[in-house]
Amino acid sequence: MGITVIGMVTVVFFLLRAIPGDPATYMLGDYATVESVAALKAELGLDRPVWEQYFSFVRRALTGDMGTSVVTGQPAFAEVIQSIPWSAALSISGIVIAVLVGVPMGVMSAVRQGTFADLFVMLGALIGISFPVFWVGLVCILLFAHEIRLFPALGASSSSDIFTQVHHLMLPALVLGFSVAAYIARLTRSAMLEVLGQDFVRVARAMGIPERRIVYGLALRNALIPVLAVIGVTFAWSLGSAILVEAVFSRPGLGSMILKAVFARDYQLVQAGVFVLASAVVLVNTTLDIVYGLVDPRVSVS
Amino acid sequence: MKKITGAFALLVSIALITIPAGAAELRVRIGSDVGNLDPARIFGIENQTVASHIYNGMVKYDQATNKILPDLATSWSISADGKVYTFKLRDGVMFHKGYGKLTADDVKFSLERVLDPASKSRYAGQLAGVKTVEAPDPLTVRVTLEGPNGGLLNKLTDFNQGWITSRKAVTKIGDKKYAMQPIGTGPFIFDKWLAGNQVRVVANKDYFGGAPSLDAVTFRIIKDETAAAIALENGEIDVFFALQSPPVIDRLKKASNVTVLNRVANHTINLVLNQTVKPLDDILVRKAIAYGINREALIKGYFKGTKATGYSVITSSFPQYTESLPQYKHDPAKAKALLKEAGQEGFTLELVTVGLSPYNQLVIPIASDLEKVGIKTKITVLERGAYLQARGKGDIMTCITGIVGPPDPDSPLVSLYATKSFPPGMNTSRYNKVDDLLASAAAEQDPAKRTGIYQQIMSNTMEDVPVLPLYADQLFLAHGNNVKGLVQNSLFTIQAYPISLSK
Repeated sequence: MGITVIGMVTVVFFLLRAIPGDPATYMLGDYATVESVAALKAELGLDRPVWEQYFSFVRRALTGDMGTSVVTGQPAFAEVIQSIPWSAALSISGIVIAVLVGVPMGVMSAVRQGTFADLFVMLGALIGISFPVFWVGLVCILLFAHEIRLFPALGASSSSDIFTQVHHLMLPALVLGFSVAAYIARLTRSAMLEVLGQDFVRVARAMGIPERRIVYGLALRNALIPVLAVIGVTFAWSLGSAILVEAVFSRPGLGSMILKAVFARDYQLVQAGVFVLASAVVLVNTTLDIVYGLVDPRVSVS
Repeated sequence: MKKITGAFALLVSIALITIPAGAAELRVRIGSDVGNLDPARIFGIENQTVASHIYNGMVKYDQATNKILPDLATSWSISADGKVYTFKLRDGVMFHKGYGKLTADDVKFSLERVLDPASKSRYAGQLAGVKTVEAPDPLTVRVTLEGPNGGLLNKLTDFNQGWITSRKAVTKIGDKKYAMQPIGTGPFIFDKWLAGNQVRVVANKDYFGGAPSLDAVTFRIIKDETAAAIALENGEIDVFFALQSPPVIDRLKKASNVTVLNRVANHTINLVLNQTVKPLDDILVRKAIAYGINREALIKGYFKGTKATGYSVITSSFPQYTESLPQYKHDPAKAKALLKEAGQEGFTLELVTVGLSPYNQLVIPIASDLEKVGIKTKITVLERGAYLQARGKGDIMTCITGIVGPPDPDSPLVSLYATKSFPPGMNTSRYNKVDDLLASAAAEQDPAKRTGIYQQIMSNTMEDVPVLPLYADQLFLAHGNNVKGLVQNSLFTIQAYPISLSK
């Protein structure tokens, strides 16, 4: 678990330094002199060999110091921490919507395979997968914030009122949620179809167990295992999509922050952001591994 | 549904931000995040817009006319040889947050800080030629120059290096941390910055010009222009700063509760031709390129009329503006003839630009125009960091350089045409024929004569075309009709001090 995070941060550390353009040139801009660039590089430690920079980064990181943002002069970790609640609220509410919508839709279309309802759900899922979230987001703003004024156009509020906050979050969460729901619905459907065709389901049916219990008590429970695995993957994916949703809905968040930092060559900020992002993905996937054990007794956490 | 709402509420409660309700608060859209409000290192229109509410300069530009007016200095005198400027400071000006009274020592500190190589200021070059800054008494500042510089006041206006900081504040807060904990004397006090979301400033009730009518200004980061337009129409924001997209401008002009303002900026976007790369050393080739590009079509077609013609790098917002200069109206036949005369038909021109809109897009019509007159083109689009590095090396054939800054004629002319402006700098054409004229403009004390010299420089440089102005930028700004008193300036900033909100 820790190894994955360390690996990620290491890869990002070296990748960042491989991009052309260094922070000193970026910060000093059009009027930079050779001397001022050299002086700033020395101050930022960029004049030393990359491996030396890496070891000093690791040494500091082990003591919990992720460095200082070269742009703002504030501790990099502080800015990252500030954007975590925004990202967490969007990603988690998006995934919750995705599961609440995607799983029942997938089950329904599997049970009624070949019917009009099945076709309708799968068509909806295809649209959800094919249309990029930033486009859907813009259309939703035009539709729900302008034509029908149901939601605000800005996906983040500066108000302290909790209901205003939720009101602002709803549209971005729905947009992110439905795009993820499309994946989950398709996956649930195919997993359910596979399980419904197995012998134990046929036996159960022969025994006269009510269809409702077969579907929800037996089949779904077995179908959920691959679905759970995918929810872990989609969480990472939703963090990526969240960047686009954040941009369209003017929401702060980890994704936007890392993107801004990459453009500014703010190495420390990128590293701190990736560290948190990688940790979040690893944490969610580990939690899901533990949940497997609850769903499927054959899997045990060792 | 209740349960779900409850869960949401729980989730977002961690992201709570408290702002007292019921106050006159102006909400302004900015396009990207701020990051550095330290006058020595500040860059970017968002930072400059926020900083212009926090700081004052020794003098300031009139927002409407660009005339230089007193600000922190109430009066000044210039010695007969033009080398010594003596400023009298306004008495009783207080720094924000209890950092005490403004004195001549703070001015000395601010200017010396920009000049000190240790502070790595972006603007040290702007104050080049300043020998000493002295504070003979708390309300007198004496600036001594190495040689006369008729443009000094332009460098000391309320912008970038001209903003005055407090010695006590910078020393106490620390050089690095000061970037996001700025202390000035301006009409608004820095309140807080929420990364990626907003910056807020609150009214300085003790401002020497009188307390602002607003209680606070919130700068909201809204990247997408369509979303910002809808937010303005819905009344979620009051001012739309940095409005650029032609369809969005169109949309807002039709909205009933919104006013759209526009004004020619101090900025030009230029195609810089590197004379060290053959065949661009040939004036005939450079003129052929100038005649070959249909700049009017670029403005009318691509920009839908939202930009103005660039007759030179001095736009109509400068007092020195003129149109009686060599002009290059689109003339493909003449371009072909010039290429033939130069013996350079069918050479390949590499168009290098940064991967940001509109630069990465407008190279396409330019390339297509040039292909039509028989110049082969190759388009190279680079990410900003890589672009700055490539331009800094100085071996790329062309680049598209935007010139932004105050209405100070030195700012575009010296940056683009002075030999000293490369390397490092923006004279990637390596033009070297107006150095003497630039020096005599600086030495000239009589404003009318200075203007004459500047116009001579404009004329010479447009004749030689080392740099082809593609267009002059126009600034668009939209505000809700509840906003009163907003005056648009020709810098890329806005000033909320004169604004009041009606119900």
